[in-house]
Amino acid sequence: MEIGTLDAETVITGLGTIGPCGHGREPLAAALVAGKAVVAEVNRGAGLHREGGARLAALVGERDVSRWVAPADARRMSFPSKLAVAAARMALAEAGIDVTEAGGPRTGVYLSTTFGTSLFTERLLRQILLEGAEAAQPFYFSECVANAPAAQLAIAIGARGPNVTLTQRESGPLLAVARGAQAVREGCVDRAFAGTVEELTPLLHALLDRFGALARADGALAEMPRPFDRRRDGFLAGEGATLLVLEREDAARARGARVLARVGWSGAAFDATASVSDWGDGQAPLAAALRAGLDLVPDGAAGVAAIVSGASGTRRGDRLEARVLRAAWGEIPLPPVLVPKAVVGEYGGGILTSGLLALEGAPFGPTPGFAEPDPEVGVAPHAGGALQIPSRVLLTGLASGGAAGWLVLERVS
Amino acid sequence: MPGADPGPVRARAVAVTGLGAVSPLGWGLGSLWDGLRSGRTAIGRFDRFDHSGHRTHIAAQVDLAAEPARLRGKPLRLSLADRFAVAAAREAVAQATIDVDRCRERTGVYFGTSTGGMLETEAYLEALFTAMSGRGRPPAASLLASQQNNGPGDAVARDLGIGGPVQTVSAACASGAMAIGDAVRAVRRGEVDVAIAGGSDSLCRLTYAGFNALRAVDERPCRPFRGNRAGLSLGEGAGALILEPLGRVLARGARPLALATGEAASCDAHHMTSPHPEGFGAAEAIRGALADARLDPSEIDFVNAHGTGTPLNDAAECMALVTVFGDRAPDLPVTSTKALVGHLLGSAGALEAVATILCLLNREVHPMPDDGASDPGIRLRLVLGRPLRLARARHALSTSLAFGGANAALVFTRHGDRNPGR
Repeated sequence: MEIGTLDAETVITGLGTIGPCGHGREPLAAALVAGKAVVAEVNRGAGLHREGGARLAALVGERDVSRWVAPADARRMSFPSKLAVAAARMALAEAGIDVTEAGGPRTGVYLSTTFGTSLFTERLLRQILLEGAEAAQPFYFSECVANAPAAQLAIAIGARGPNVTLTQRESGPLLAVARGAQAVREGCVDRAFAGTVEELTPLLHALLDRFGALARADGALAEMPRPFDRRRDGFLAGEGATLLVLEREDAARARGARVLARVGWSGAAFDATASVSDWGDGQAPLAAALRAGLDLVPDGAAGVAAIVSGASGTRRGDRLEARVLRAAWGEIPLPPVLVPKAVVGEYGGGILTSGLLALEGAPFGPTPGFAEPDPEVGVAPHAGGALQIPSRVLLTGLASGGAAGWLVLERVS
Repeated sequence: MPGADPGPVRARAVAVTGLGAVSPLGWGLGSLWDGLRSGRTAIGRFDRFDHSGHRTHIAAQVDLAAEPARLRGKPLRLSLADRFAVAAAREAVAQATIDVDRCRERTGVYFGTSTGGMLETEAYLEALFTAMSGRGRPPAASLLASQQNNGPGDAVARDLGIGGPVQTVSAACASGAMAIGDAVRAVRRGEVDVAIAGGSDSLCRLTYAGFNALRAVDERPCRPFRGNRAGLSLGEGAGALILEPLGRVLARGARPLALATGEAASCDAHHMTSPHPEGFGAAEAIRGALADARLDPSEIDFVNAHGTGTPLNDAAECMALVTVFGDRAPDLPVTSTKALVGHLLGSAGALEAVATILCLLNREVHPMPDDGASDPGIRLRLVLGRPLRLARARHALSTSLAFGGANAALVFTRHGDRNPGR
């Protein structure tokens, strides 16, 4: 009987990502350097959108994942499930682990999603609501549960350890990685797939827009997210998947794996002043929680060389993010604040991938949409130019509704 | 060691100090326990939505007219599942005699749900689709309640002013049990001093139509493990537990209701809707929870099984129990709360954890209706018709098996019946 050593370090040895920029980290890195939002026109043909509403989203253009998922398997999957399986296999390839050896009872899956399998859920609901109850197709039902992508991943890989799906909006991706890292650290599993998957449909886009959540054109102002900018009015909805392979550092080194990062401190808190669908103004307790966590990091806040912020261009969300960061850092100047959602839109995979890219020393271009500082915010995102290769980055995820998650990734020499 | 093994984080014993429940048997623990003891099912005709187009017409619904008055002022942006969650959490907090104001930042919320506010989303989308077809105006977006799955947990945190971690698990029918397992770990690790754990789900058209499409819904109230079982019955409600380090509980002079001694999860990795026919994954989760509790299978006194009433689930779960408990399985008392309240989906594991603890506290296993013939393939000691008195009951197991093959198992122990330091 093998039981893991308590508090063994957890490292990331593989990254798989499919998103609006394409397959793999390279196209995303190129987009971040270019500093231009990756947008596509959303299909508004169904008439679900309101007049003058948002038209753009960061959509996965390259939807063929047959390199990673055989068509015979893919036909039993929703698009998010295909993305999750493809990203997991991509991550395995980078980790140097044969897919036939990746599963087993000591492999766990820790995935987050906000909206789950949106298209299949919509199709099923249309059948039920418009065609009659008995029109419901079983296939749509089994794939519309939030844990369908995690389950399909487990079936594809043979991962028989814990299979956990978290649904905590924008904080979910960081919570999922933290949860997976914890499971590895505590010896529950030897290996974990952790990450996030989202699917954006025209209906979901229309609903988000009707809720007033999305950036939209306003007179001379083009439709784009403007994180931390005075004129920001909403986020750019996005979709995609990012999966990480997590394992114990000693085990990774023993098999000669290339270590991408070590998972450091993670934390979570809640802002009870938030409304159901917006951010609150309870920065003090959130900042206290973040500060307490940073005190556990070597050199404290000063030891964090870059922040990969979850700011997305929302009025209250960005303001809260800025206030929490400023309060947590106190007298210490904030390190460069990178804002990948300005480029790849609102889906957690962009944050996770960008965190690893930052640690690798990848260059980040200017933050698109930021031109006019907001005195109420007081944080200016990275303006482009060279970054020191950081030894430690903080990823942030403040969710509408009140939840908050943070994750520190460390460079391993 | 299988992946279901919980690992070595067992430094702190975890006490359950409060329970809360909203179920088709009523609002609150008293209604739940009285109903469970009675062995009479709450599954029957229901009117939560129009189900005339379906081939089945029964479910177990919560009586909204009996909702505590203090909650009625809050439904505007709360889904029904949110309201269930808040009511159960408030009851649990009250029983635990916790002053949340004094430990906001050290209190976390760990909740599970399968569909969150889907019932309200359906109403909104129906109105939207109708408007799109030229009949009427689009509904106001503000009518969408907290439609996402994080709704119930967030609602609890918001209602109580919680400042610690908030995490929602959506692993279909294992959500509630997994959320409790995560809460147990958070308390053990010292991440929080108080964890509010549970689950909540409401009936909705999507799950009712979906399970009917799978032909998994019985036309009669479900009969778990019985020879004439023909499917599940859907239900709704919430269960909530307050978890704290035992040392903290004793220091503040509170009374532990039980100890949460074991938790583990696993996955069949077999099929999206069918369990592994030999219950392989479920057995892994049960073994893991027992190992976490440092218990031998022989020490478990009764099982609150997942027991949905579908032919495949019950057969697979029986196989899992036989695999773990061996020759003792035919003598091991087994009950299924779903026979009385239906399948609460993401909330099932939470309400069944509450039921399990109530059974331990009262040293009595609640019965299932004695309806139908026995199944010769089910070699378990089913508790039927009347409560089973177990004067020496100390340890109980609760299992949850979900879509996608996700499994979770929890072990609870009467406080005072074992070395609390274990």
